[in-house]
Amino acid sequence: MFRYIVRRLLQMILTFFGATFVVFALMFANQDDPVQALAGEKPVSASLREALTERYHLDEGLLSQYWYYMSNLLTGDLGESISGREIGTLLEDSWPVTVRLSLMALVIAAALALGAGVWSAIRRGSVFDNGILAFTLLLLALPIVVLAPVAQWIFGMELGWFPATASRNASFYALLLPALVLATTVVATQLRVTRTSVAENLRADYVRTARAKGLAPRRVIWVHVLRNSLIPLVTLIGVDLGVLMSGALVTEGVFNIPGVGSKLAQGIRTEDGPMVVGFVSVLVIVFLVMNLVVDLLYAALDPRIRYE
Amino acid sequence: MLGKRPWRMAAIAAAISLLVAGCGSGDSEDPTAAGNTVVIGISEPQHLLPTNATDSSSAQVLNSLFYPLVTFDAEKNPVEVAAEKISVAKGNRVWTIKLKPGFTFHNGEPVTAQNYIDAWNYGAYKPNAQGGGYFFDRIAGYADLNPLDPDGDGPEKAAEPTTNKMSGLKKIDDLTFQVTLSAPFASFKSVIAYSVFFPLPKAAFSSDGVIAKGFEENLIGNGPFKMKGSWVHDDKIVVEKYADFKGVVPKVDGVTWKIYGDQMAAYADLVDNNLDVQTTIPTDALANAPADLGERFQKSENSVFEFIGFPTFLPQYKNPNVRKAISMAINREEIASQIFLGSRTAAKSFVSPVVSGYRENSCGEPCEYNPTKARELYQQNGGPKEIKITYNVDGGHKSWVDATCNQIRASLQVNCIGEQEPKFAVMQDKLQKHQDIGLIRLGWIMDYPLMENYLNPLYGTNGGSNYYGWSSAAFDTLVKEGSKAATPEASIKKWQEAEDILAEEMPVIPLRYGQNVYGYSERVTNVEVDLFSRVNLYELETLA
Amino acid sequence: MSDPTLPATIDTRPRSLSGDAWDDLRHSKIFWVSSGLALLILLMAFFPTLFTSANPADCTLSRQYAGPSGGALFGFDYQGCDVFARTIHGAGNSLWVGLLATLLAGVIGLFFGMAAGYFGGAVDAILSRGIDIVLGIPFLLGAVVFSGRLSGAGDDGVTAVTLTLGLLTWTSAARVMRSSVVAAKGQDYVAAARMLGASPARLMFRHILPNAFAPFIVVMALLLGANIAAEATLSFLGVGLKGDAISWGVQIAEAQKHARVAPAPLIWPSTFLAATVLAFIMLGDAVRDAFDPKLR
Repeated sequence: MFRYIVRRLLQMILTFFGATFVVFALMFANQDDPVQALAGEKPVSASLREALTERYHLDEGLLSQYWYYMSNLLTGDLGESISGREIGTLLEDSWPVTVRLSLMALVIAAALALGAGVWSAIRRGSVFDNGILAFTLLLLALPIVVLAPVAQWIFGMELGWFPATASRNASFYALLLPALVLATTVVATQLRVTRTSVAENLRADYVRTARAKGLAPRRVIWVHVLRNSLIPLVTLIGVDLGVLMSGALVTEGVFNIPGVGSKLAQGIRTEDGPMVVGFVSVLVIVFLVMNLVVDLLYAALDPRIRYE
Repeated sequence: MLGKRPWRMAAIAAAISLLVAGCGSGDSEDPTAAGNTVVIGISEPQHLLPTNATDSSSAQVLNSLFYPLVTFDAEKNPVEVAAEKISVAKGNRVWTIKLKPGFTFHNGEPVTAQNYIDAWNYGAYKPNAQGGGYFFDRIAGYADLNPLDPDGDGPEKAAEPTTNKMSGLKKIDDLTFQVTLSAPFASFKSVIAYSVFFPLPKAAFSSDGVIAKGFEENLIGNGPFKMKGSWVHDDKIVVEKYADFKGVVPKVDGVTWKIYGDQMAAYADLVDNNLDVQTTIPTDALANAPADLGERFQKSENSVFEFIGFPTFLPQYKNPNVRKAISMAINREEIASQIFLGSRTAAKSFVSPVVSGYRENSCGEPCEYNPTKARELYQQNGGPKEIKITYNVDGGHKSWVDATCNQIRASLQVNCIGEQEPKFAVMQDKLQKHQDIGLIRLGWIMDYPLMENYLNPLYGTNGGSNYYGWSSAAFDTLVKEGSKAATPEASIKKWQEAEDILAEEMPVIPLRYGQNVYGYSERVTNVEVDLFSRVNLYELETLA
Repeated sequence: MSDPTLPATIDTRPRSLSGDAWDDLRHSKIFWVSSGLALLILLMAFFPTLFTSANPADCTLSRQYAGPSGGALFGFDYQGCDVFARTIHGAGNSLWVGLLATLLAGVIGLFFGMAAGYFGGAVDAILSRGIDIVLGIPFLLGAVVFSGRLSGAGDDGVTAVTLTLGLLTWTSAARVMRSSVVAAKGQDYVAAARMLGASPARLMFRHILPNAFAPFIVVMALLLGANIAAEATLSFLGVGLKGDAISWGVQIAEAQKHARVAPAPLIWPSTFLAATVLAFIMLGDAVRDAFDPKLR
């Protein structure tokens, strides 16, 4: 077990360099003219262009730009965004609210998926099952770019149940609506997968055995079946973090939350290479740690899986 | 092993997540205004150092922290504010600026001529890479601070500037300084109203020509308001009344500049009365604004000018009659009212109505919608079978380009498509490489209210925003003569003659003028939004 | 589905998995309903003129938001275009993009997931790191870069959007496949087959795959829906279909801005989108139920 974790941690370092390099290359490929992107449509004077190009090494090749970046990073310096702000500070400012938002969304989604998924698997073909099916499809069919503003308009502005916008120090309540919207991006898949694997496990031999032993049906479902059905769901939660981050790009914008998502969107829009790579580096680390945790959870949930 | 208790683990994980999510929150309240202060929505300013700040959000904030040398009266003529007197000699080349006495910066330092000279030199010095640096290029000595790379993108490096002081700036006494221009310019007084010309206190510099670390987050200005705390990035900037301010005192005690990443979010807050003023209501919310806000939804003119350009390297648009025919095929009024819901007005001249010298419909017949005549003219002159309008998709231009194409298709009976490019820079790049990108959508916001600020950058041969490459020697000469003319009236006359050349040649199709479409909450009154889309802080009042 | 009572006569013909599945499907109402719906949508996608004779590109501002009239069953939108005609004509691009992108993602995901789960060790380590790297790329960044670079000037962006979606969405399929294979690999019957001398390919395709396939099918069906909807997100971000191309996504992204004034142009394409997604997911469910030996 210990050796397994050490090995995974070593692999993480490789993945980290791989991912940052790929993102760096993508940003490089996407770079048309960051100096112009900064100025919008105003003409950029030749003098300003030259000065900025030199400061951020914009005229150099991909590898040498990556080298500048990495050598700074290894000394603990995340560098400056092209708009002249410390990326370290930017991250510190925007990280906490995004963590809170995505955790809330994950918990909401997982709770809904488990509850409704198990219930529809038990009552397959019932009104509840079909209702849930229709509802998740609706969520799936409405892209978040539609869902977020519509939810803001209906629940924030028309009905006034939630504040229409949140901020960096938003309360739990102010983040609830954006978290719900964000949860919709992953709940449909989680729910379907839960339903499927519960339905499958309900027919497994061990369930029949458990039932035959005379165990209470509730115990059979919530302990025996669910534990085995959790494996695909747990996998998904690891993947969902990525989906959540994509969703956060839009949701944070709509609800005015100055988190990682909205900063990242801004960085991509303004072709701010250092900023995007800085943010993505941290995201990648979070992914890697999450996925290690997910893999360890497998072993915990399924004794048949052993890591050496 | 943990494996024995997956349930407990899951429960604990969920509990921790909820705790993390729930805690560390709600300790600081939202900046809902209290007392005699207001909350005004902006975007995150790119920069706040005056010489680096060129976007409208930073201009708004700077306007509260600084007091300009001049401002504009109702007729858009420059009038002295922080300056006592601005006089000119030697054929519009040497300008003498005398400051009003008794003004201090927010740290108590007196405002002197040297503060202006230091700030302007800092702004013009090339290695500082200031976004507003080009504003100083009329001042003698600017070129010494900005040596250009001799071979453009080539391997040769540009020489280091030999000095960081412009020779054209001279201190006369503590309150007077002299500005020598490299060429005569009759309207220089209008130019220095812009925020890049604000002074900086001694405290701004850690050493000669170096801005102290952290100054941008904690600006010290000479204006009616001072910073209360630092600039909280992506969140807010709070300013409060400066007690020792000697100029016109605003009626509100403080302003919270609340920063929004998305203007639709700001609009939602405005409707909920969590925001007091929004200067630009996004087009997507305009249909609902009259119902949501009633009387608190207002419009005023601004300097935005939108048009379509014909890249000159495309042979199919060489004939001015083809260009006129396309112009006549477009129903500007219909698009302004139905696509922009009145946030734009139809443009039939080549400069915005906000500048003196503007004449209504200087374009004449070619800017009037006339589908029949348009088709005749188009067919007589052999216009192309397909028209393409290229636009950058990040600017929200799809709706009107689609509508314009639909009109052109109906009027001229030729195909018309809107071609998307991801960013403006990509359009520029394709233009430079002379690729067939068809017609291009363009827009302009003025830096100072002069006809020249439209004519020269947009249509001059070396104009910074003349992306389509039109060039006319006669036009250039007239604009130049206008700039040198003895009086502003004489300037305008020359500039109008230059505009007449545009009407004959139609290098662009004027489409629309901008409007500020703004709204305010039930808490405030006397809300005015000026030509530069800034709230007039001196008039704004809260309702008791 | 699984009838506990024994059939009256016992069929002695040799039975194959697909034969059993077909028997099952033939008797499934859900299968017939969903495939009927899917067929209708495919018909709409390939022969839009069977449903409407109006030209979807015929738009004029004077008809903005006008109500239903004549052939325009759903009224007119912001640009004064016939919503019904655009919804019908939009089916083609939406479906095409969704199906191809999902197919691409499925193929990549299937092979990578299966290889990683079956071989384990170094193969798993490398492939899993690859998945991690792709997951680490923010969707927006990937979408902007890929579709920006993949689309040539003047095309409608269908190929670029398809490739973009396929290349960015295969990871969930791969991960689900991998974990199912890992779980199935440990089963006794696999060990038994291996001891009987089954080749790796036979083990993988005959024994492990059918048992690991169920969750995969579900993820694919969901991915199809998500991809059709994601095309709208790309259009919204300005890297979707270009020029005159019509799709439900383009319609939704545009109508969303004016939903408070005119909900109809948003509701109709969304309804068609939801119905399409529904049809394919139900179809996926039915097929999975039929093919999954554990459910028999």
